[in-house]
Amino acid sequence: MRVNRIIKSGTFRLAAAFSALFLVLTGALMGTVLWIVDNTQTETLVRANDADTETVLNGFSDEGIDEAVEVVRQRLGNVKYSTASRPDCFMVLENGSGAVLAGNLPAQPRRIGDFTTTLRDTRIRGRGTPIGEGAYLFVGRDLGPVAVTRERIIDAFIWVTAGALGIASVTGVLLGRRFTRRVDAVARACKSIIAGRLDERIEVQGYNDEWDRLASAINDMLNRIAALLENLRQVSSDVAHDLRTPLARLRNRLENARAESTSTTQYAQAIAGAIVDADQILSMFAALLRISQVEAGGRLAKFANVNLSELCENVFRMYQPVAEDYAHKLTANFDDGAQVRGDAELLTQMFTNLIENAIHHTPSGTAIHLLMRIAQDTVYLSVEDTGPGIAADQTEKVFRRFYRLASSRTTAGHGLGLALVSAVVQLHDGGIDLADAHPGLRVNVRFPVNCDR
Amino acid sequence: MSGTNGKRLLLVEDDGELASTLLARLRESDYAVEHHSDGREGLAAALAGDFDALIVDRMLPGMDGLDLVKALRQRKDTPVIYLTTMSGIDDRVAGLDAGGDDYLTKPFAFAELLARIRVLTRRATHPPSRLTAGSIEMDLLARTVTRDGRDIDLVPQEFRLLEYLMKNADRVVTRKMLLENVWNVYFDPGTNVVESHISRLRTSLKQGFSTDPIQTVRGEGYRLLASQ
Repeated sequence: MRVNRIIKSGTFRLAAAFSALFLVLTGALMGTVLWIVDNTQTETLVRANDADTETVLNGFSDEGIDEAVEVVRQRLGNVKYSTASRPDCFMVLENGSGAVLAGNLPAQPRRIGDFTTTLRDTRIRGRGTPIGEGAYLFVGRDLGPVAVTRERIIDAFIWVTAGALGIASVTGVLLGRRFTRRVDAVARACKSIIAGRLDERIEVQGYNDEWDRLASAINDMLNRIAALLENLRQVSSDVAHDLRTPLARLRNRLENARAESTSTTQYAQAIAGAIVDADQILSMFAALLRISQVEAGGRLAKFANVNLSELCENVFRMYQPVAEDYAHKLTANFDDGAQVRGDAELLTQMFTNLIENAIHHTPSGTAIHLLMRIAQDTVYLSVEDTGPGIAADQTEKVFRRFYRLASSRTTAGHGLGLALVSAVVQLHDGGIDLADAHPGLRVNVRFPVNCDR
Repeated sequence: MSGTNGKRLLLVEDDGELASTLLARLRESDYAVEHHSDGREGLAAALAGDFDALIVDRMLPGMDGLDLVKALRQRKDTPVIYLTTMSGIDDRVAGLDAGGDDYLTKPFAFAELLARIRVLTRRATHPPSRLTAGSIEMDLLARTVTRDGRDIDLVPQEFRLLEYLMKNADRVVTRKMLLENVWNVYFDPGTNVVESHISRLRTSLKQGFSTDPIQTVRGEGYRLLASQ
């Protein structure tokens, strides 16, 4: 079972494929080596035959057939014997009528030129030459040593190849087992997560190899999914809890209208009130949906170049009369020509939400100052007021959905403004904090000029 | 099925309850309305008939609202207003790119739809360089405004606000329409941004005059009266 898994593993298959390729290449190499060695050795024999033939021919042309016979005899006297019966050199000199004059072979069929033949079960490279007056000379050499070399080379290749294949197989199995183990670890973690243990993570072994990188990436993904799930759970419970209040109010109003209204005017009033309640619930839903849209990150695709200076200026102009109506003093100081990558609509909404908060949660006569500047590729945007501020222990909580400070429970709003601001800031890869402006509150937002992620 | 104001509308909406409410109320408002609940039938009707405006749901059986408008635009330029669910906030740009003219998120007040239809079905004119509404005249090139020949100083945002009101003189424009068209704001800012600006504009226009040309229509929006 386990071996079967290893054999099926991708690494093992890869090792097998490489072994096959190795075999083919080794075969080709062996063929080439054999061809070269064969040729070289055979050529040496042919040259030796040529030299012997030359010597006999010279003797014949200098002093006639007797001298040729003498040369053959001398030459054969020096012949080495590889075994008792196998000399490494064969010669025969025949006269015109086919009688053997000298040599260590019987009379030969008179083949002329360079050829290979078999004599007494021995492969021989030979040369036949007519030397004049009808005489014929045959010189040959044993091809046995060539065959022996050939066998040795083949043997060597077989052993080396077998050894290499053995090592490759063992390595393949070992690597396969190692990789299978790591894949199994990932698969186990995934199965465990599928089974509901959402906090399960894949072990990162610290080699910083591709497996560790894969494990980290999967873990990051799981963390993100866990955060989204937690977010979803949070939203569901928020919705269940915080929408119940306005829905209950709506229901009470309708119930009272049925029980107590006696005229169409009263009914009309009750219905108008019910529509206001319904609109409030709908606007809470719209705000919630917008926050979750932003948090889901789908709007990243809509990022474009935004003229932030113009955007800030427009929002400032938009709120000047509003601030005047509330007897607030609204001032602004924006850097010129600030260009950023972002979602113009969301940045506008973020900025207006911050200004809305400053206007709504401070008494008349409060000074509100807007600031936007760019330093070192970071946008700094702040809204500062001289109002009552927020206690230090509340500064984290105000970013939660539906969270409302005790002091602002009576003012209009649904407690989603800062949650959206925070989501927009995060979408732009930035940060937000609340600071004490002595007196008052300063909301600091910062995000990179280019946050294409 | 012919309305008394001479305007013909085509409603393509598959939600039966919403469709019947809209049909009844649009007919009350003197429009002649034809209704289809299938996208393909709606497109065929839009191509065959002569309508002043189309009200098209974004999600339709047979053919998506977006594809319907794309197909329609190859042949006709009848004004189109989309209706969409709340989760489709992000679709606005896609909808307008496909050739739609306006976008309304469900649920909406009927007055909002009616105001937008009135603006969509106004007789198309060439972009004018001058606007006139009663005693008020606006020069769009010189960026000047006069009332009874007297110059009126407006800051740029007041100018844009008045321009939109004058282009739609005698028609109700809602807060939402003003936010979208004057400030490019597609969300509810919460405070009375529009009210504050209208009040500044009113003050500027009334300086030295006894009548107020901007009428507040309770629960609906504002109307610039051309007769003042």
